[in-house]
Amino acid sequence: MRRIRLLPLVLELAWTGLVSLGGGRAAYFYDSLVVRRGWVSSDQFVQDLTLCQILPGPNFSNLAVALGYRLGGWAGAAWGLVAILLPGASILLALAMLYAAGAFSPSAGALMHGMGAAVVGLVIVATGKMVRASLRGSRAVVVATLTFLAVGPLAVNTAIVIAVMAVVSAWLHWAAPPPASAGSGR
Amino acid sequence: MAALGRAAAGVRRVRPVIALATLAGTFLWLSFLCVGGGLGVLPEMQRQVVDRHHWVTDREFVDGYTLSQLTPGPSMLVVVFVGFRAHGIAGAMAATLGMFVPTSVLTAVVAHHWGSLRDRPLARAVERALTPIGVGLMAAGAWTLARSAVHDVVSGAIAAAALVVFLALRLPPIVVVLAAGGVSWLAGS
Repeated sequence: MRRIRLLPLVLELAWTGLVSLGGGRAAYFYDSLVVRRGWVSSDQFVQDLTLCQILPGPNFSNLAVALGYRLGGWAGAAWGLVAILLPGASILLALAMLYAAGAFSPSAGALMHGMGAAVVGLVIVATGKMVRASLRGSRAVVVATLTFLAVGPLAVNTAIVIAVMAVVSAWLHWAAPPPASAGSGR
Repeated sequence: MAALGRAAAGVRRVRPVIALATLAGTFLWLSFLCVGGGLGVLPEMQRQVVDRHHWVTDREFVDGYTLSQLTPGPSMLVVVFVGFRAHGIAGAMAATLGMFVPTSVLTAVVAHHWGSLRDRPLARAVERALTPIGVGLMAAGAWTLARSAVHDVVSGAIAAAALVVFLALRLPPIVVVLAAGGVSWLAGS
């Protein structure tokens, strides 16, 4: 397991949490930890992402905890959670106070629509990098495509899809395991 | 009479604790319903915090969710808003702890055990099986986000332009996203 010193790790997670506006937050983590820092590989990232989608809880905090643990152990996990929660929670608390004072009423205006649209571009680019780096072999492509179709266009419940596809994928990978020699890298 | 007074004072002391525990417990329960993409939990959260406990009104819940979308960090931070409306700063803290801490501990414990199993052949096979599912989920996330965020020519053009910029330049995402917000704001006004 690669260990990163706690301070740079927490700062990176906090910064990523602070700048991840407009949805699609996993893509921000991918961009910062895989593409820019190179602290985790694309494969490791995808594994943590899947783990976080299986486990209950908000995905974004789960992802910060899983990546924090991978890079910094228990302390990395705990401080990772604090790092992504504290800035946003403080801002939202301030906004809630202003709201309670009747200072304003929010509207999801043109600014937010534009930010959301730009994040679509970011998520597509991150997904493309992930496909190139982590999908190997036709079986994996089939599983990824089926998962995408079920959760995306067909809008099937995500938990059900993961449960079914995990069995299908395990069966496919067991039925014809890749040619693995002793001590091979992956 | 004195005994009654003491009892009443006791109730007054205990009641806030019960209120905070109810708040934390409700969000703890809701956090375990966030499986695979958190948005699925919103309808149930609305039922709990609006209809059942009356912590916020319908309108306040929608406004709170909008604010959480405008705020960096997890969108489930909407619980800070609801908690604050219910019981002030202590309520905000109780709600946040209930929503995020137990599931985070679970994730860390699973990650820990998974880390020590990782080098076994079975674990490698499981990881190999899970990887394409994760990629498919990421692609589905892109699909869902595109469906809600791209709804006219302007947002379509912004998404396409952002995609090209992300491919061609190594700008930090936040710069591109804020610029896109500015462009959209100018185009909309």
